[in-house]
Amino acid sequence: MASLVFLAVPLVSAEPVSPADLKALLARIKEKRAAAPQVQADFQEEKTVHMLNKPIASSGKMWFQSPNKFRREAKGNSPSITVSDGQHLWIYYPKFKSAEHYSLGKRSPLDAGIAAITASLNLENVEGTYHIAGTKEADGYQLQLTPRNPSMKRLLQSFSIRLNNELQVVRTEMLQPNGDRIITTYSNESRTPIPASTFEFTPPAGTDVTNPLGK
Amino acid sequence: MRLHSLIAHLVTQRRGFVWSAIALLCAASVYILVTRLKLDSEVLNLLPSGFESVEGLKVYNRDFAQVRDLTFALVCQPDDVDKLEEFGPQFAEKLRAQPWCTRVLSGAPIETPEGIRDLQSIALPLLLNLEPAAFDETISLLKPEKIAERLHRLHSELEAGSPRPQIELGLDPLGVIAPALKPFASNAAIEEDQPLASRDRTMRVFLTVTNQPTIGAIDCQKLMQEVKAFQANAHEGWDGGPLQILVTGRSAYVAEISLSMRHDIVVTLLGSIFLVGGVFYIGFHRWLPLIGMGLTLLLCCLVALATGLLIFHQLNMVTIGFCAILIGLGVDFAILVFGRYQQARDEGIDHQAAISEAVKGLGKAIFFGALTTAVGFMALMLAGSQGFTQLGVLIALGISFAGIFMMTVFFLFLPRKSSAPRKDWMFAMVKNYVRWTVRRPAPMLWISTPLLLILTAIAFSPKPPIIFDVSTHSMEPKRSDAGYALKTIMAKMPSRWEPVIGIVRTADPQQSHDYWQKVAAHWNDLQVAGKIKSFSTPAALALSPRRLQTNREKLRTIDFVAARTAFDSAIASEGFSRETFDSAFVLLDQLNGAATLPGELPDWRTQLPQKSSWWFLVDRYFAHDPLLTTGFVTTNEPVATQEQKEMLRRELPVEGVPMVLSGWSFTLTDLVPWSHRQLILISALMAVFDATLLALLYRDWRLWLIQVATLTMAVCAMIASMKLLQLPLNLLNVLAFRLVLAIGVDYGIYVLLVWQKARQLDHDVAGVVKPVILAGLTAICGFGSLGIANNPTLAGLGYACALGLFWSLAATIFFTLPAAAAAEPRSWREESLKPRIPHPENV
Repeated sequence: MASLVFLAVPLVSAEPVSPADLKALLARIKEKRAAAPQVQADFQEEKTVHMLNKPIASSGKMWFQSPNKFRREAKGNSPSITVSDGQHLWIYYPKFKSAEHYSLGKRSPLDAGIAAITASLNLENVEGTYHIAGTKEADGYQLQLTPRNPSMKRLLQSFSIRLNNELQVVRTEMLQPNGDRIITTYSNESRTPIPASTFEFTPPAGTDVTNPLGK
Repeated sequence: MRLHSLIAHLVTQRRGFVWSAIALLCAASVYILVTRLKLDSEVLNLLPSGFESVEGLKVYNRDFAQVRDLTFALVCQPDDVDKLEEFGPQFAEKLRAQPWCTRVLSGAPIETPEGIRDLQSIALPLLLNLEPAAFDETISLLKPEKIAERLHRLHSELEAGSPRPQIELGLDPLGVIAPALKPFASNAAIEEDQPLASRDRTMRVFLTVTNQPTIGAIDCQKLMQEVKAFQANAHEGWDGGPLQILVTGRSAYVAEISLSMRHDIVVTLLGSIFLVGGVFYIGFHRWLPLIGMGLTLLLCCLVALATGLLIFHQLNMVTIGFCAILIGLGVDFAILVFGRYQQARDEGIDHQAAISEAVKGLGKAIFFGALTTAVGFMALMLAGSQGFTQLGVLIALGISFAGIFMMTVFFLFLPRKSSAPRKDWMFAMVKNYVRWTVRRPAPMLWISTPLLLILTAIAFSPKPPIIFDVSTHSMEPKRSDAGYALKTIMAKMPSRWEPVIGIVRTADPQQSHDYWQKVAAHWNDLQVAGKIKSFSTPAALALSPRRLQTNREKLRTIDFVAARTAFDSAIASEGFSRETFDSAFVLLDQLNGAATLPGELPDWRTQLPQKSSWWFLVDRYFAHDPLLTTGFVTTNEPVATQEQKEMLRRELPVEGVPMVLSGWSFTLTDLVPWSHRQLILISALMAVFDATLLALLYRDWRLWLIQVATLTMAVCAMIASMKLLQLPLNLLNVLAFRLVLAIGVDYGIYVLLVWQKARQLDHDVAGVVKPVILAGLTAICGFGSLGIANNPTLAGLGYACALGLFWSLAATIFFTLPAAAAAEPRSWREESLKPRIPHPENV
């Protein structure tokens, strides 16, 4: 088995993408996203948090509408629904019948976090926010993003996105300055239209709503 | 021997005696100045006492550390916002390294690990200060089952993807700090109240506390020298486009204002000397009397200052600056006396007799001139301001000394031998004018009266309005770096305007706690009702000793061993890493100690590290004496109107809590009625005094009426000119009206007293009108030269006085004189113009 892996290494070796090719690649991605500005996919996530001894694994489904609307439903032992319409972010915990509400655009650290999430799904104007390096791999591309903006740098050390040859995001890896790491893999991507109501959220009756960062 | 003869005898025959007396007077004055001179550099002492807001401002300036704050701002181009964000921490580090810098705030303390750690260090007293119900609910979280439940819940939320558990566990693993900080948090939103970065990110603000030993002008200047040197080198490491490094704050303003005041004094004094000397020389073509006049005025200032020092024990620096006014006023007497003396010499009268003639002819006029001016300035005592009282008394003393010295000492400088009379074109012109206007007063009256009446109408008309500028901006130098910095910050952060402050002094910590609880509750109601925008108080930090004791007793019911064990096992069972929660174990130990150890808890001020950014918040509320505290109210709009001020004065106080409301904008608005009262009531009192004095002096209702009309129209013309030229009135240049009344009335007195006694009207009246014109021109030039001052209030005073004196002089020459002539029968006027003795052409 070890020798098979050893032999396979040359086959998956990556070539750096030149700046011109990278620009062309981003233009292609943009074109594709413009044609279908929405996406939905299943995801699997592994989160390594410095506070916890073991990584957290979760899975579920996400929906995204360019430029900044998204919905994420996580299943399992700790289910949650995260919905953002670009101005408000809701995180609902059905198990506890509680929800957190955050206002976006108030220069809170959360904005940088949301920007990081949407960047991977959107990839629009990422050049303005990140330094980007790319490599061409056999089955697609690997983009390495490092934040330009110091407020983003405080939250995110690096961000890598793996795209398949159809330019679909298949894996992202987010590394935070405190060592926390989130690896997400996507599958079953679809670009069919998404109803607007997907990105709306009203807490069910009896939900305990909190505003952790204030109104 | 009559007084005028005695004076003439002394200054001509007993010169040695008079010089000795002067030397003695000078020596005594210099001795007093050297041994007793104490300068009060407090600008606030210029504001009237008896106003709570003014006293509050003084207390705030004197007792709160915040007056040592300097605010730095970095402003970059829009393309460089990311670079600025990266450069910010470097700049903050450079600031921290400065020897004059005690603390720096470059971001919200809660967002930094140090800020969180510092906050945890004072969590215990804040927790024990919670009100009973909140405290009970909070410590219930220390029950073993609650600890396990909470950690499980946070773990689940963390798994579900919430960002909140990480924040919460980082700051408050046990869950007892957040409730303790809840009251504090409502005040801790520095970033919300006073953002440290502009919305467009092109500006970042850094707050610093300096270690200057005092807040006096000299220390402020020294500090700002070092700050300027830092500013010059602080760009190092910046690789973007143009970057402005701005600085503002009280020290920056005080340094600038004091330096600009020195500049103003030198520049306006030199300007006055040049202009006054020029006018004098043009009028008389002689230097020695000019030098004599200067030295005599210097003597007046010296003696007035020494006497003032004996009376007040210390003198305000600004008051001394205003002594320049004295020179402008004293010059009048010298010109009048010399004009009369020179006229007598030109008529061939010898030195001693000419002196006698000058004193005899003008003694009464100068006495009454000095009296009206002195009373005018003494009226400043009614303003109730220490600075203005000193100013009034000093100038009243100075003008009295000027009256005395100009009729005695001044003559010592005049040469015994008179140079040959030369053609005096000015006198000839004046004489021709007097002769023409006495013979045919109507044409001149037809020109001057309608013009003055039109200006009077404009003065009374509501449009155009007179501008009354009471903003703090009206008091800062014209070219002010600190002012520019503040304006730039305000423009980029419009939400930053100066709050109203409520100062509360208490007898003990318990009272401080009780008072602020009441105030915070009341202000919260006002905020909910929309009467104020926001507020912040020291309520959370004003700890209640009674409550601390009660809550410590309650802590004894907690089983800390069980809590510790439960916490430990919950960490393990939920899979948390133990080292993340070290601070929680420390807190558990502290709580256990508070419950079991006897004695008082350590003061939280000693627990909070001196370098902590939280001190910016603490120092906002607490003076050096922690029983002197202040709260802040941000109004819906910057305070500018009486209605706003009245509403705040009505709504903000709380029954049973003695509170002083203050703040610069609030105080300046509070002073507007005072300023109006100064303008109207005291000027009216002065006018009544003048009118009464004139009635006694002339004992002729026609002349009295003419001069009262002259004064009224001159003041109205001054107001109209200020309206038309859009020159604003401010809190200090309302003085101009009093000055104009005091000096303007003198011109009329000089002319009309001579008019009444004239033997040959054109000769005698021209003999006084020429010096009056020269005196008027020197005064206008003297005050006009204040216009080049950097300080807008001083410049405003200069412009207003120059305008007022111009109209007083013009009205005296072109209205009083022809009106006095018109009041007499034609036959009397013709008779008065006939020469009784032959005069040379030039006289």
